[in-house]
Amino acid sequence: MHLTRQEKEMATGKYGAGVEKCMDILVKFGETFGAERLIEIASAHTMPNEPVELLKEMTDGAEQIQAFTTLHSMMSGFSPHQWRKMGIPETFALAEASDFEQRQKIYRRLGFYQTYTCLPMLVGNLPRKGDCVSWIGSGAQLMVNSLIGARNNRDGTLINLASAITGRSPLLGLFLDENRYADIVVELKGLDPLQLSATDLGAVGYYVGGKAQDKNIVINGLPKSLRIDQLKYLMAPLSTSGAVSICHIVGVTPEALTLEQALGRRKASDVLHVGYKEIEATKALYGGNGPIDMVVLGCPHCTVPELREIAALLERKRIGSHQRLWVGIPYQMYYLAEKMGYVQIVEKAGGVIASSCMATVPDAPIPDGVKKIATNSFKAAHYITRLTKGKVSVSIQDMPSCIQAITGKTI
Amino acid sequence: MKLKGRAINSGQVQAEAVTFDAPFSFIGDFDPNTGEIHVEGPSLSKKNLANKILVCPSGKGGTIAPFIAYRAKQKGTAPVGILCNKADPVLCESALAIDIPILDSFEKDILTYIKDGTIVTIDHESVEIRG
Repeated sequence: MHLTRQEKEMATGKYGAGVEKCMDILVKFGETFGAERLIEIASAHTMPNEPVELLKEMTDGAEQIQAFTTLHSMMSGFSPHQWRKMGIPETFALAEASDFEQRQKIYRRLGFYQTYTCLPMLVGNLPRKGDCVSWIGSGAQLMVNSLIGARNNRDGTLINLASAITGRSPLLGLFLDENRYADIVVELKGLDPLQLSATDLGAVGYYVGGKAQDKNIVINGLPKSLRIDQLKYLMAPLSTSGAVSICHIVGVTPEALTLEQALGRRKASDVLHVGYKEIEATKALYGGNGPIDMVVLGCPHCTVPELREIAALLERKRIGSHQRLWVGIPYQMYYLAEKMGYVQIVEKAGGVIASSCMATVPDAPIPDGVKKIATNSFKAAHYITRLTKGKVSVSIQDMPSCIQAITGKTI
Repeated sequence: MKLKGRAINSGQVQAEAVTFDAPFSFIGDFDPNTGEIHVEGPSLSKKNLANKILVCPSGKGGTIAPFIAYRAKQKGTAPVGILCNKADPVLCESALAIDIPILDSFEKDILTYIKDGTIVTIDHESVEIRG
């Protein structure tokens, strides 16, 4: 692999043992998968759960990291500030909190931005079309590629961290034009997209992801007026039931002004049709009636308009004494929503708002007595069902029904 | 018998082989607390990867797998080498996270040469098989 003079110095220890280790990892990885050189990345987004010792090894001797780097949501639903209110068992929380303290010191010193969200583009990590980046989080990876048109590979956590520290990533995969075109066309049949709820859009994504697996897709027939909080419900499940990295939307996303452009003027390898029948069958995968113990919203993290909607649904209501509401939202949005008065309404009703990941919740942090969860997110339903190994069942409902299931009394 | 592969991360190690006949991930297929791997079907003996050489066709997703491999190494439950037919990015990253030798691209399917318990010696791009 060809390295610049500065990269050679980085690889031979001039910038410290940590950078040397990172470069060793990037070069070995790049050579294995055919990269001819490294490329400077515009930004990084890393996972705040690296083993503390590994983080120390990889940053040994560094004064600051080289890429502008934001941090992903805290995994397993854990929030260092809200865990008591969330009902997370103490044994689980104290172990997590200790690692968090140690990492936080390193993050502060080296300049990792402690955003703790799966939507870094909403809090200032906003690359431009064509920029190469290294972002973690399957939903964020898909959205930065598709909605922003920046270029991101499906890096694992090690290459991602090494890229953030060095500001470089091997030039391969989705950084290259030829790998960014769509293979599969998704056509909506008999649907009025403006009438689809966020949950319906999630069902489209979950259905298509399962069929498309790791292929790039392009969706035809969606209106430009869909907001980002709707598009995230469509996109996140694509990399949950499948491993889709790019979802172009004709006339909406930057690399898909036309269907022909999205396909790179090639013929599609397959065409998928999605209608109401597919949406209903997909929603039925997470069905079931019965009382709800907990509602999980904010997967991907809520925007402020969504928190306003939740607050409106909770106004003058109280969540049942044995029921819970967890809402995932980035810190920055929390303060904004607090200024606007929405946070107070949700908290007064008994809900908890946290800057943590609402999808990757295994049974350990789930409060005792919670057997049935409702959510409007297919991604959360998918992961919580699997991670709790059958101890908790999850039903998909739209946001008003979720809130209704845990609020009876009006005050 | 000696085989030649591509050394993705080069090194020298000798250990018993543990085979896994599907694409492997440190998430889902592996318990970092014990080193055990989850084998499909009614298996009488549980397989344990601790200080062994993993032999598998390839790897699969789970972007956080390199961190799980690292935790396993801290607990002493990680493998000491990986031989596979074709390394996928995340399996490659997992080996690099714990700096163990990983080789791929052998002339034939590596699983036809190596059984559980075979003593394997990795010496950079060469692999020697005994027993």
